[in-house]
Amino acid sequence: MIVYGLTIILLIFLSPLVTSFIKMIKMYLLYKKPIPIFQGYRDFSKLLSKEMIISKETSSITRIAPYLVLSPLLLILFFLPPIAGGEYYVSFIDAFTITGLISLSTFFLMILGLDSASSFGGLGSSREAFISALVEPAMILALFSVSMMGNNLGLGQASVNLNNDFPYAHMASYLFAAISFFILLIAENGRIPVDNPETHLELTMVHEAMILDLSGFYLMLIESAGSIKFMIFASIFASLFMPFGLHLPIFLGIIVFVLKIFFIAILVSLLEVNTAKLRLFKVPNLLGIAIVFAFLSLITFYVLGA
Amino acid sequence: MFLFDNLSILFLFLIMLGVVPNLFYSFGYLPHIRRKAYYLLHYFSFIGSMVGVVVAGNALVFLFFWELMSLTSWQLILTEVKDKSTIKAARFYFFMTHFGFMFLLLFFLIVTNGNLEIDFAMMKSIASDFAYPTLLFFFAVLGLLSKAGAVPMHVWLPYAHPEAPSPVSALMSGIMLKIAIYGLFRFTFDILGTWPLEWGILILIIGALSSLIGVLYALSEHDIKALLANHSIENIGIILLGFGMGMIFSSLHLQTLSAFSFIAALFHTFNHMSFKSLLFMGGGSVLHETNTKNMEKYGGLIKSMPITAFTFLLASISISALPPTNGFLSEWMIFQSLIGSSSIDNISLKLAISFSVFALALTGGLAIACFVKVFGITFLGLHRSTNAKHAKEVNFMMKTGMILMSLVVVSLMLFTPFYMKFFDSTLNELLHVSIYKQIFPNIWSLHSVTPYGGIVSPLILLVGLIAIILALYAVFKSLNIKEKVYHTWACGYNTTAKTQYSATGFAGPIRRFFTWLYNPNEHFEKEIISGHKTKFVDASFSVHVEPLFERTIYKGSVKLVNKISYYVYRLAHFEQSRYAAMIFNMLLSILFSYRIFVHEFDWATFLLESVVMLISVKVLLIGEKR
Repeated sequence: MIVYGLTIILLIFLSPLVTSFIKMIKMYLLYKKPIPIFQGYRDFSKLLSKEMIISKETSSITRIAPYLVLSPLLLILFFLPPIAGGEYYVSFIDAFTITGLISLSTFFLMILGLDSASSFGGLGSSREAFISALVEPAMILALFSVSMMGNNLGLGQASVNLNNDFPYAHMASYLFAAISFFILLIAENGRIPVDNPETHLELTMVHEAMILDLSGFYLMLIESAGSIKFMIFASIFASLFMPFGLHLPIFLGIIVFVLKIFFIAILVSLLEVNTAKLRLFKVPNLLGIAIVFAFLSLITFYVLGA
Repeated sequence: MFLFDNLSILFLFLIMLGVVPNLFYSFGYLPHIRRKAYYLLHYFSFIGSMVGVVVAGNALVFLFFWELMSLTSWQLILTEVKDKSTIKAARFYFFMTHFGFMFLLLFFLIVTNGNLEIDFAMMKSIASDFAYPTLLFFFAVLGLLSKAGAVPMHVWLPYAHPEAPSPVSALMSGIMLKIAIYGLFRFTFDILGTWPLEWGILILIIGALSSLIGVLYALSEHDIKALLANHSIENIGIILLGFGMGMIFSSLHLQTLSAFSFIAALFHTFNHMSFKSLLFMGGGSVLHETNTKNMEKYGGLIKSMPITAFTFLLASISISALPPTNGFLSEWMIFQSLIGSSSIDNISLKLAISFSVFALALTGGLAIACFVKVFGITFLGLHRSTNAKHAKEVNFMMKTGMILMSLVVVSLMLFTPFYMKFFDSTLNELLHVSIYKQIFPNIWSLHSVTPYGGIVSPLILLVGLIAIILALYAVFKSLNIKEKVYHTWACGYNTTAKTQYSATGFAGPIRRFFTWLYNPNEHFEKEIISGHKTKFVDASFSVHVEPLFERTIYKGSVKLVNKISYYVYRLAHFEQSRYAAMIFNMLLSILFSYRIFVHEFDWATFLLESVVMLISVKVLLIGEKR
């Protein structure tokens, strides 16, 4: 129970750190002066104390939606796979519900984009709707395939099972699912080949366009939703596709988990530095690859049993 | 004559849940209908006929009420005739519903041996002796699914539903389509009894196609009611996915999984009734206040119509299958039953079913996109027309109707175990399996029956979400943040209604990605200033998408009929003797084919009959070459 509570607090507090860590590495690799690693926390405390500007054109949705963007993601944190300390897991919801909760958050984000009557908001939500519609099938298929290797659809139990006996027999389909899920990690979090989290150019933006008219506390809610979403995906990836370290002593286990998260962050930042952003209508190709890999994973599992 | 078993009572309950809020809404709507007596007469006989179909105990009563249901709804579409499109839609509906009725009649004529007053148990024994059960199944599918609006018999829905008065479209989409689902349950279980694997696969394929095609055409639609009608096609598809999986599992003797899938289909039937009625009521209120069905003319309605907007939002979340709403629960169950396919031995079937998983997931994603579009463009932003500016909240009765219906939605979400128990007892009667204990070991969490399946607990999700939102809100209140109100920033330009995203623009990326399906008809006109291509004063852009099935199957069959009638005309050439010969030949072919259908088939007689037919046609019709 203590470990459970500790995990959730750790994940919440780690998420801004990871986001700014990615940024730091990217700036370092681009020969810029890197931002301090605690910049994320500074931004949040700044936003908390700032005055809010509410647009005259908006409706009550602007005051409701930010909460509904963040709260499903916070709820997911309670149901993530265990990170250390042996076989406990919270089995109230399964992988489909987690994808559903992520979609709920995205739904309200898209509605928020349309609320301020600016053309940027509409542009952002239109693109986000397009991308997330194509992410959904890949996500479900990948999770379906992993759930068969982990012998459970609940993420917690599946990761424990994978930890206890690594699916050497199904290595091919396991790898395909991992590739598919990694592409989804990038696409859902608006990372570079799909979306650029840093620019404010209308040609390139998706996520940033939807939240242009928010400020202060509401912007803080959305920003933290962004970093927590990355944390959720990273920790699912870490527990499902790097299944080791669950049975180490608690303290060591947590350190291993944090290292895994930072490893994923480094992977993402390397990918971001080395690729150019795709045009919006090239994005389906990338997501198509994710869908094909998820299918391949299922098919190899069924047909070859490998 | 009448039958009150669990299935009938279940659907009676469904009708009651749908009709009671609708009555309030309908009475609120009544002042705007000119022909009140006409409307009320047909409205109540429509409801009565739906009740009649559900409790019918023999073929005659069933067919009578089925036909009454079709006719009254046809007349209800014609309540407010504004232009020719209404009459055209009504005629199309009339044709399609009788196309289905013909097959139902054929079905019943075969299974009752001509005596339409025998009950379902006796029909079952006749049906099991019939030589071609698949033919019976096809008749049932064509007859029922043309009413339910499954692909490819779905084309009438986006025409008929928008033209009817809004309470009637809510009834038609919410309940009448479900009556066809009732028929499917009744026919497959009580008349056909057992079925081979292929029937289930057929239903599964129809379901997957309907769900995808429904949602894709909904995205390209800008008439709010036609859009909702397209979503009915999608949801019927989802119900059929559950039903098809149930049939597949049952023919493979996986009784528990089969019962689970059928329960999922029933649950989605209830859910779709609740949220689709609510959406049609909301759409009807908007239409009523703005006098236009075109979504591009709405905008900002949440400020003047808060109750309509928030009930519509609830229904949108539910139909997009987002947790913790009821729509999510039933779609979750259907996902679980699709995933249960991993316990089938047949590899090719397993692989094929994973494509249904893909179709359902893509449908879910596109439905979210579509409902963001509907809600965002209709209720958010600035008013896009003067009509939208002058909209007010609807009257008390209509509001009551919408609130009651949203209570039905919420009750389906909160009291899931109660409804499940009801579905389970129905399935127990049909399949003799009870799985309530397995799916609800306690009232908190819904378990899947698939091996290694998942768990979802709607109540815990709901409570958790509310708790987190309250905590965040408490933080917000305690910080005591100052607020300033200012215009939306638009790079130094004014924020006006015209600079917002339109519904056409919102669906743009998806329309472009699916160009191969939509084949859109785009018109772009602009008035250029002094030869510069980039400088213009006035521009207009419009897209029209003609549905694929209408373009191919329907227009194609019209062409075919035209061609045939042209040849008939050439043959007959206005001579009475030739017409008589034609009728004689027709009778002969009908008699021969009747013999083949009813008695067994053998090649010798078939050959003989063909020769007789050929000679008769040659001698009587074609005659000598002139």
